[in-house]
Amino acid sequence: MIRVDGLGARAGAFALRDVSFELQGGAWGIVLGPAGAGKTTLLETIAGVRHVDAGSVTLRNTDVTRTPPEQRGVGIVYQHAFLFPHLSVEANVAYGARDRAYAIEVARRLGVGSLMSRAVGSLSGGERQMVAIARALAPEPDILLLDEPFAAVDPRNRTRLRRELRSMQWEHSLTVLHVTHDFGEAGTLGDLAILLEGGRLVQAARPETLFRRPASPAAAEFLGAENVFAGTTTPMESVSGDEPGVMLFRSGSLALVGISDAKLATHAVIRGEDVVLSRERPGPSSARNAVAGVVAEIVVHGALARVTVDLGELPLVATVTAGSVSDLGLLPGSRVVATIKATAVHLC
Amino acid sequence: MTTSAPPVRATHRLATTGVVAGSLLLMLLLALPIVTVVLRSGVTGLQQLGADAELRASLWLTAQTATLATLLTVLLGTPLAYLLARERLPAASVVSALLDLPLLIPHPVAGMALLLAFGRASPGGAALAAFGLAVVGSRTGIVLAMLFVAAPLYVSAAREAIARVDERYESVARTLGDSPARAAWRVTRPLAGRGLLAAAVVMWARAVSEFGAIVILTYNPKVASVLSYDRFTGEGLDAALPVAAVLVILALVPLLALRTLRARALPGELTR
Repeated sequence: MIRVDGLGARAGAFALRDVSFELQGGAWGIVLGPAGAGKTTLLETIAGVRHVDAGSVTLRNTDVTRTPPEQRGVGIVYQHAFLFPHLSVEANVAYGARDRAYAIEVARRLGVGSLMSRAVGSLSGGERQMVAIARALAPEPDILLLDEPFAAVDPRNRTRLRRELRSMQWEHSLTVLHVTHDFGEAGTLGDLAILLEGGRLVQAARPETLFRRPASPAAAEFLGAENVFAGTTTPMESVSGDEPGVMLFRSGSLALVGISDAKLATHAVIRGEDVVLSRERPGPSSARNAVAGVVAEIVVHGALARVTVDLGELPLVATVTAGSVSDLGLLPGSRVVATIKATAVHLC
Repeated sequence: MTTSAPPVRATHRLATTGVVAGSLLLMLLLALPIVTVVLRSGVTGLQQLGADAELRASLWLTAQTATLATLLTVLLGTPLAYLLARERLPAASVVSALLDLPLLIPHPVAGMALLLAFGRASPGGAALAAFGLAVVGSRTGIVLAMLFVAAPLYVSAAREAIARVDERYESVARTLGDSPARAAWRVTRPLAGRGLLAAAVVMWARAVSEFGAIVILTYNPKVASVLSYDRFTGEGLDAALPVAAVLVILALVPLLALRTLRARALPGELTR
């Protein structure tokens, strides 16, 4: 288990401020955020190699805020691996291992068993990262901190490495905190997604919640939401306690029914894949929003197409299949109706 | 029709000529005295090494004391350089200023300061005397003078060598079970090794060439620099030149060592 409460730390001029979240033991946490958000500083502070200015770090229900890193039982893998260049690959992997045979077995499982006699300088970037993961796992930690560990690994090895790490996590009940820029990784691996920005925690939630119901417009944009509109909201149904409420969102002439966790929402967030396009206004359905517009642009990326619909004052982006574009005969200038369920309009 | 080079190109050519001429002039000023000494007395000096017992003893004494001063500085100065490099020393700017001071004061003044601090009448001298050590007229004085004037060079160069090794190597070693000292020993020391060795060579070379502070503390026994001065004042330039030439030739040893060390890349620097 990893818990941080009001955590503050400094890295040069950068400061991590008031970060709090809890990752259950044996869970896989994903840390997301733009460059300079404080992701690496957060990992270093949990590992104990960076001084805590405020708050606390609790591992396995024990406060370790003042415990030196060598007594925390935490492995860390940096993006740039930081393999010891004066040692062989085998000496790197066995550096902190209590059982050399176990270290070699870990290296074999991660696919670097054949590199053991090599010099570090002769390894590729991907091989370095795989060796660094093996080195961090060799002392049998129950908490593993990964800072973009797959960034330099080729796609085939990346898939195999993720699978092997996942299996080792289950076998050893490893708690993993993993910094990544890959949203796909967040969705497939993460039990908890933690979004940082400017040294502060923006949101900590299950990945699907983070992506579908981001806490702020900035978070929505960072997480790739195509449509973020500023406007005003008014409650349509009574909102009680922390329950999500149905609200009417207005931005100019655009009016949308959406769902909000907050009583004072100022933005509507709609993911492109939640927008349904049709040539005519559809018949009665459970979808609460249907807005007419004109296709302004169609950009095809392989099997998918990004269709921008001009709603008069605002552009609405819909992500549909290239086949749908063809079946509907969509071209720039085509009149379309965009249908969006109220539950897909996240007000924040 | 005739064409002329654009004024910008002419100015550039003039500037280049000026830079080259200035560089050549400086090199001439630096090299001419040294080359003259070696050409005039190098062979005589080397021949004299076989016959001149005092010169041999003086060179041996110089090498011994410079080596001892360097070893002491490496022992005491490396941890200090580490703390300065990793910015873990309170009042680091004061410490750095204190380290720079011996480099800035005239070396005879350094000798006088050492005499005051560690001479027979001083509390420091009394403390050393309790261990059977005397600073004036002794090898201890020579080592102390060499250490005083050259140790700052070692600490400064060692600090830079350690700072070039990314601290995250140590961070990784710490998470793998090393204490701070063990991580520094197992990771930073080997990665900064060549830089530390180069720093020690610079210090040794500076210690060997020291004259001003040593001559105040210990005229006898004579280190090589004092011997050359002694022969110059007692017997004239012709008697001093062979000794001087041998010193210049021997200075090539640390120079070659430094060139070799610097020609090889430091492994810790590659990944920065």
